[in-house]
Order: sequence, then C-alpha cells, then structure tokens
Amino acid sequence: MSKRDKQQDLSGAGERIKARDKCGYMLIWPLVSVTLGLAASGLMMLLLGHNPFVVYLRLFTFAFRDTYNVADIFAKATPLILTGLAFGFAFRATLFNIGGQGQFYLGCVAAVFCALKLNFLPAVLLLPICLCSSMLAGGCWGAFVGYTKARFNASEFLISMMSTYVALAIMNFLLRSPLKEVKGEYPQTDVIGQNAWIPTLVPHTRLHWGFIIALAVAFLAYFILWKTTLGFRIRAVGMNRNAARYAGIDEKRIFILVFLLSGAFAGLAGFMEVNGIQHMLVQGFNPMIGAEGIGIAILGNAHPLGIVLSGILFGALKVGGNLVVQTSTIPSSIIGIMEGFVMLFVILSYFLQDKLMARRSKKEIKARGKGSQ
Amino acid sequence: MIWAGLLARAVQMSTPLMIGSLAEIYAERTGVMIIAIEGIFLLGAWGGFVGAYLSGSMVIGILLAMTVGVMAGTVYGIVTIRLKQHQIVTGTAINIFAAGLALYLYRVLFGVPLLPLTVEPLRSIPIPVLSGIPVIGKAFFDQNILTYLAFLLMPAGFWLLFRTPLGLTIRSTGENPEAVDSAGINVEKVRFLTVLFASALDGMAGAFYSIGFLGLYTNDIIGGRGWIAFAICFLGNWNPLGALLGALVFGFADAASIVIQTSGFRLIPNEFLIAIPYILTIVATIARKQFNVPAVLGVPYVKERK
Repeated sequence: MSKRDKQQDLSGAGERIKARDKCGYMLIWPLVSVTLGLAASGLMMLLLGHNPFVVYLRLFTFAFRDTYNVADIFAKATPLILTGLAFGFAFRATLFNIGGQGQFYLGCVAAVFCALKLNFLPAVLLLPICLCSSMLAGGCWGAFVGYTKARFNASEFLISMMSTYVALAIMNFLLRSPLKEVKGEYPQTDVIGQNAWIPTLVPHTRLHWGFIIALAVAFLAYFILWKTTLGFRIRAVGMNRNAARYAGIDEKRIFILVFLLSGAFAGLAGFMEVNGIQHMLVQGFNPMIGAEGIGIAILGNAHPLGIVLSGILFGALKVGGNLVVQTSTIPSSIIGIMEGFVMLFVILSYFLQDKLMARRSKKEIKARGKGSQ
Repeated sequence: MIWAGLLARAVQMSTPLMIGSLAEIYAERTGVMIIAIEGIFLLGAWGGFVGAYLSGSMVIGILLAMTVGVMAGTVYGIVTIRLKQHQIVTGTAINIFAAGLALYLYRVLFGVPLLPLTVEPLRSIPIPVLSGIPVIGKAFFDQNILTYLAFLLMPAGFWLLFRTPLGLTIRSTGENPEAVDSAGINVEKVRFLTVLFASALDGMAGAFYSIGFLGLYTNDIIGGRGWIAFAICFLGNWNPLGALLGALVFGFADAASIVIQTSGFRLIPNEFLIAIPYILTIVATIARKQFNVPAVLGVPYVKERK
C-alpha cells in the first residue's frame, strides 16, 4: 500500500458525512449556520454605515416582492444546484472536484456552439442536442481529471483546479476568434436563435423548464448513489478505499465514472445559463459559480436534497442581494462575503455535530455496558 | 537582448512562487496542507497595497500583508488543527471569503476611484559590479529586495528543515505525530505555529504581486498563482531546493507568456500563453512518478486514536 492511500483512509471524511446524514437535526444545523453567517455579514455592512436589519429586510422583501422575483430565485438556483451536485456527487466518493467552474465553461461553449451552428434545426431537435453536448463537454473535461487520478495517481484536487484555468483559456480564445459576434466588437457570441431557448415555465419571468431538469438530475444523483450497485460502490470507495478494494471494487473505474458524471452536471449548468437565461455567451460571466457550488454542496452535506434546498437559498440571496446592491451603495462583493461566512459557520457546525455524535455514542456504549452486567 | 529581458522577468516572476512554495512545504511537512493559499495570497496582495498606499512606506505594506496573512492563517489553523475539520473544505471556504472580503474592504477604504489607484512598485537594487555581468547580471543582481530575500530563504529553509532539531520536529510531525507526542512535544502546537509562519510568508508572497510588480491592486491579481505555488511544493518533492528549481521553471513560463504577449508574436494565441503554467502543472503532476508525501498529510491529529 502506498503512503498516499493510507492518508486518505485516515482522514475519515467519508464516514463523517455519512454519520451527519443520520444526525436527527439535518435542517436545524444549516439554518443556524445560515443565520449566524448572515449576522456576521451584517457586521460588515456596519463598516459602510448601513443598518443590517434594514438591508436584510429589503433583501427579503425584494426577493419575494412579485412573481417575477420569486421565479427568478428558482431560475438563479438552477445552475447552482447543478454545480453543487458536481462537487457533492464526487465528495460522496471522497473525491474533490474543485474544477466545476471549468466544466461549466466548457458546457457553455458546447451549448452555444451547437445553438449557433445548428440553428436551422427545430427546437425539438436542437434543445436535446445542446443539452447532450454541454453534458458531454463538461463530462469529458471532468473524466480527464478522473483518468489522471486512476492512471497516474495524480492529486485530483490539483488537476481539477488547474484544468479550470485551461478551460477558461479555451473559452476566451473561442470567444475572441471563431465564436465572436458578427459585429466583432466585444468578446461575446451572437444571440442564439429562439429555437434554442429553453421554454419558460412561468410566463413573463425568467424561470424556465431547466429548473425541473435540475430537480430531475438531483433525483437521479440520489437514485444512483443510494439505489444502485454503482452508487453503493461509489459510497464504499468514499468510505474506505482499502475495504472497497478488498471487496473487489475497481476503484479506478469509479474515479473516472464519478468525475464523468460530476463534470456532466457542471456542464449541464452551462446549458441552463446559455440556453435558459443569457441566450448568448459573454466573456467572464458567472466567474464564481463553481466556488458557490462547493459552498452549496457543503451546506447541503453533499446530499442531493440538501443541495437543492441550499441552491434555492443561495438563489434567494443572489436575487435579493442583487436588487439591494442596485438600489443602494452597498457593493456587490457583500454577496461573496455572505456566502463565505455561511460556509465557515457550516464548517463550525460540523465540528459541533461531530462532538455531539461522539458524546451520544459514548453514552450508548455506557448504557449497553450497564445493561449486560 | 530578448533573452536577458526574459531571464530577468523569469527570476522576478518566480519570487512569490518560491516564497509561497517554501511556506507550503513547511506546513505540509507538519501534515497540514494550506488549501487557503490562494486566498491568503490575495489578502496579502490587498494588505501590501493598502499598507503601502496609505502609509507611503513599502515596509509597512509588507508588514500589513504578513499580518493579514497570519490572521487568515489563524482562522484556518484553528478550524483545521484544533477543531479537526476537513482541510480542503475549510480552505475553499476561506478562499471564497477572501475574494469577497478583499474587494469589499477595498471599497470601504477607497470608494470607487475613477482611475485605478497606484503606488510606485518596489525599486530594484542593482548590486555593484555583479549587476554588470552580461545576461545573468540583470537577472540575478538587479532585482527588488523581495527577490533577494526569496533566494536567501530557500537555502536557509533547506538548512533549517534538514539540519536542525527544529526541522526534525517539523518533519516528524508530518510523518509520525504519535512519536512526536510521546517525546513530549505538542503536535497541535507545532502544526499551528508552522501554519502561522507559513501564512505570514504567503502574505508576503501575495504582496509581491501588488507592490513588488504591478503597483496596484485588482481582485484577479493572483489568478491561480497561489495554486501554482501549491503545486510546486508537490513537484519539488517537499524539498525547498526542489521547489527553488520548480519556481524558476514556472516563473519562466509566466515570464514567457508576458514577454511573448507584448512582443507582437502572433503565432500562438494569447490565451494559450496565459494557460502555459497551468498546463505545465498538469503535465508535471502526471509525469512525476516518485512522491515523498508526508505520511499523515491532511489528517488531523487525534490523541490515542483507537
């Protein structure tokens, strides 16, 4: 056994996320962490002389003001749920897919490429083609990371991080020459034809059918992880890599498969943004979506249901936050601070949960010991 | 002529990579990966610029950068070492937080300036006689103080790590913490202090980008170079001398992309030149066969496990 294998077994991350699933308070912990995170960000607002209570009141009244904004929460949540799944799904196998951003970019590129070049096709054909190509692009980019892990025992963390910057370079290059708008002014593509737009779900809002697809994908991730043999293998590799190997599971295949699926989720988020919201591809858009996905996955304990709920919460923060930022002098970076604080408090709550669980199991052992005497 | 310029730029660009990878080596030798390195670089760049701009003194800028770095390192150290939470998860959280925080505090301090605020970057100090040597004189003996410091730090770091009792303690903490503990040394204290030391260095490395090179602060000033320093630590096999070599190679790649971009060479698109260091990291990570990973890298120390 190489040193590196030993290292991953000892950290026990896989066992701990599983234990937290069973912890009876699945909803209370994230809610407390979110509240504390928002409170801490409120203190930051004081620095610019804003009353945080007023700001938060406005944030939530803005977010739930009318159908358009409420629908926008779900529209914003759609790609976030998918990048959240991209990190969370791999995290269940104790693999770190930090490259969701790059897989997202390539998904965007593939979707916009198909939408522009095949615009003669009817929507019935074009939309599925865009969807599949975005998943394929993101998935292959992810699978490459999994392959280097399986074949060369490379650190997937490092490779996925680096691959993001390469993906960014590819996207910027394509936007500057082959895919550049006909007018040739800005590094962006032309607007894609209406036949490539994802139909809206609620009329006169930006909410589109992609949200339903995202929910379906989340369910699919749940189904794969907990209801199939493949999912069992993935979780076994996550829990204890050596035990999984002794049980005859080919961990290398799992590495590649998990990264393929993870990347496909992030790539699909690109399809949602390009065909559902932006209807074009602009240089440097959504630069934080990968990182936010990580935050969402952690807030949701890498569980698909938790990821959906956290994605909607982050969506609400974005919609309300953007409106507050537009109508006051608070800079938009406050949204990043809120997300960062929420993540830090979630991690602190993990610590408390671990402590509580340790105490509970100690009690159980004691009680059992007394019973047998 | 172009070669002398390229070499000088390569040495310049490798400076923060050297300092950052040395910091990472020390931390990882005790068993802690500083995943927050990208965020600490960014905060260091911010601190360096703010300190230098407000006080007019480069020394204060660098000191502020190191202080900010230590503050971020303290949070990271408490959560990962004392509270034993996952290093990659915690580090990612701090990176997101740092990006928001640096931009926000810049706005708090300076509002929205019409023109980007600038400071005069650190001046280069030519060393008499030696800087007159053709080609290498300009590269190695006509640089700013941080570059000279980096070249001193790498061999000093090697000596401390492999030739002193303190270095032995640091290395043992990452290889066999139980043995260190039974020798009466507090494992968590060794790790925590090393992380603080490393994050001070990371802050200084970040400051190089803002006040040692560009003379201004933007939020994408680091743009993944923290990760490259992190990668150099791996590729240099957790050895400061290996990292010195790695940093020079990556500094050269960084410099080549800058020089080629400005020289009007149009055969390769710009974007791919910018991507060279990242591609190089991927290739080097794959190509490297033998690794000397510290045995308990990334694993929190629990007394009397099992």
